[in-house]
Amino acid sequence: MTTIEATGPAVPSPTGSARFIGPIDAFWVLLVRGALLLVATLGIYRFWLATDIRRYLWANTEIAGDGLEYLGTARELLIGFLTAIAILVPVYAGLFIAALDSGPGGRWVSVIAFVLLAVLGQFAVYRARRYRLTRTMFRGLRFHQTGSGWRYAICAMFWWIMSAVTLGLAYPWGQASLERYKMRNTYYGDLQGRFVGSGARLLLRGLPLWIVTVLPLLIGILVPAFTVDWEAIPDMVKGGGADFGKFEGANPALAAALLLPGLAVAWTLIVGALLYPAFQGIVLKWWVAGLRFGDVTVATRLRKRSVYGVYMRFLWHSLAFGVVVGIVAVILLAAVGGGLTVFDKDGTLGRSTAAEIGMIAATVVVYVAMMLGFSTIFQATVRLGLWRVGFESVELHGLAALDRVKAVAQPSTALGEGLADALNVGGY
Amino acid sequence: MSTSGAGIFFDGMAGARHEVTIELEQAAVVIRGAADCDMLARWPHDELEPVIAPSGVLRLGRLGSTVPARLEIRDVAFAAAVRALATGVDRRATESRRGRVRVVAWSVAAVVSLLVLGIFGIPAIASRLAPLVPLAIEHRLGRAVDVQVRQMLDTGKPGKPFDCGAATDERAGRAALDKVVGRLEGAAALAVPLRVTVVRRREANAFALPGGAIYVFEGLIDKAERPDELAGVIAHEIGHVAHRDGTRSVLQSAGLSFLFGLALGDFVGGGAVVIAARSVLGSAYSREVEANADAFGVDLMNRIGRDGRALGVILVRIAGAIEPGMQALADHPETRARAVAIGQAASGGSGAALLDGPEWTALKQICARR
Repeated sequence: MTTIEATGPAVPSPTGSARFIGPIDAFWVLLVRGALLLVATLGIYRFWLATDIRRYLWANTEIAGDGLEYLGTARELLIGFLTAIAILVPVYAGLFIAALDSGPGGRWVSVIAFVLLAVLGQFAVYRARRYRLTRTMFRGLRFHQTGSGWRYAICAMFWWIMSAVTLGLAYPWGQASLERYKMRNTYYGDLQGRFVGSGARLLLRGLPLWIVTVLPLLIGILVPAFTVDWEAIPDMVKGGGADFGKFEGANPALAAALLLPGLAVAWTLIVGALLYPAFQGIVLKWWVAGLRFGDVTVATRLRKRSVYGVYMRFLWHSLAFGVVVGIVAVILLAAVGGGLTVFDKDGTLGRSTAAEIGMIAATVVVYVAMMLGFSTIFQATVRLGLWRVGFESVELHGLAALDRVKAVAQPSTALGEGLADALNVGGY
Repeated sequence: MSTSGAGIFFDGMAGARHEVTIELEQAAVVIRGAADCDMLARWPHDELEPVIAPSGVLRLGRLGSTVPARLEIRDVAFAAAVRALATGVDRRATESRRGRVRVVAWSVAAVVSLLVLGIFGIPAIASRLAPLVPLAIEHRLGRAVDVQVRQMLDTGKPGKPFDCGAATDERAGRAALDKVVGRLEGAAALAVPLRVTVVRRREANAFALPGGAIYVFEGLIDKAERPDELAGVIAHEIGHVAHRDGTRSVLQSAGLSFLFGLALGDFVGGGAVVIAARSVLGSAYSREVEANADAFGVDLMNRIGRDGRALGVILVRIAGAIEPGMQALADHPETRARAVAIGQAASGGSGAALLDGPEWTALKQICARR
């Protein structure tokens, strides 16, 4: 193999943008065919579908004029999955036996099982990222990732617990810390990455959302806890229903106290759903803008409006799909139920077992069609859409540094991907 | 045919982007720097491997090379000329295309054989395995299931214990129940001691757990008009204990959930398929199991000299009261057919009555504390 020094006439492009050039029709074809084959193979096809999706997304993404290439194969994912099963089956079996052995104390076993599987899930997330990076090629060089999956898993658990305890206020620092760990262990060739986004900045940007969604929930729960005379309630309940009215009369705050948490939860759910795209946009923009590889810096012009546009497309497609499936389902159920009832032998209106099994089968078919349909629409609108707006709003500086990068990476195994798949924590 | 054209070359060793001139020779393509004409690489035709690229771009790798060098050609006509020379093909794409036909075909075959295993294999394995499970393990299993069942059933009405028969005004009822159970248990010759519990639930129902625990709901005692009817139902449940059906159903559902849940079905909506398959298959197993428990119950009633037909009578009464719903999901075979089969096996009651009048009245009051 002939090699040369990288001093040639390579055109240094100090700044560059990224673009996505994939034809959307091809992606739909890929997804719909994949969904049908998922059903036919009871899910085994997912490794091929995931690989197809990545090949499509990577190949159609151009950064500063050069395309990404995905080198992974479905066979690697399948082997990774089988390895993960080999590890997980004894773990599951052990937990099952432990739960049986401990009898009424089995609650602790399920807590331990939950923690164990959560840690394993975070480990899988980290290792799966390593697999994807080593299968990603740009300008003839692979990415790779070092660092310890267990260390990441412990840190991730710590930050998830902190986020839960602080009702989300620790989330920005958690994300910043985990992202710093991931990025400083990420390399493009021999060019080390880093992450410069600050948790405080993310908190400042997200604080209005937190105030609008989480704070009302907090108030709705805390206010009744302090205004109502809770110690009187057990006696009142023992006294029976008739005393309830009396109690309420004596403590007028109670009606409001019971209503307030309900309203607060409803508010949080509705506003949370409405503002979720804004939240996602903020996090995505903060994340992209914090990425660095050596002298290469990233800026982004991402707007919340485009994230909302992505979700509107999802809603619109889902609505149309839901209406169509609803109509088909009614016709199908009526045909199956009606048809088999009419041809019932003894002439009564009682339904035969065959008709009922037919109804169950039709219901399952409709349900599976719904779920797969929504998942396909989600992939084609939200996943593709966020990928597209994420890349297309990017501007890169200092690209000349790429010319001096040398190759070092060796591919890694797909074990993390397999674990992530078996534990349902997979990503792109 | 043009013999040279422009392209972009990445050598796979460094990240630099080289503008190159590509010359087509007899047996190879020669890649030279566009500015200085230095030869960067020479790839034989049979090592040219097209790899995935956006439409309008021909991207080539070198087959069998560990260094992922890439050559890109964007001029459509020249790209077509180079592609014609390449005897290699997109290895990853064709490999996966050929592979996936095989995968789909074998997966469908596997689905079929798993279904066959689920329908015929697992029940057969579970029925052979259940008698081999040591009684100590069955006891332990029963205790674990018992905790779950109580958590599910006990809706926690304040001021009343979930179990009936403990309060002062319920003790006479408990004694009457023990009398009925004692007579049945004496005739049944079981390997495990029975533990019959009456609980405060409005539904007319009863079930047996692994290890000899039997639950009778208050609603069933309300529905029973004669001691023989209640005894018939308990005899049926004793049939489940004798046949170790609880253990068998735990083995079956563990087998089914392992079969459909862990190894397969991990796609969106797959959970519903698993649950539907398990409940339909599960109830298909239990039809046969229920028929066997009926036969055991009637035989047991015959042995103590009481009327086994009473079981059929109360079953029909209960079935008439509930909604005629999804029969395929109901655990028990069609009630009328069951009652007929029970009637044919029953030999009529000539033995001593199970309870006298006051005892039966007391038993009806076993959940009196309201």
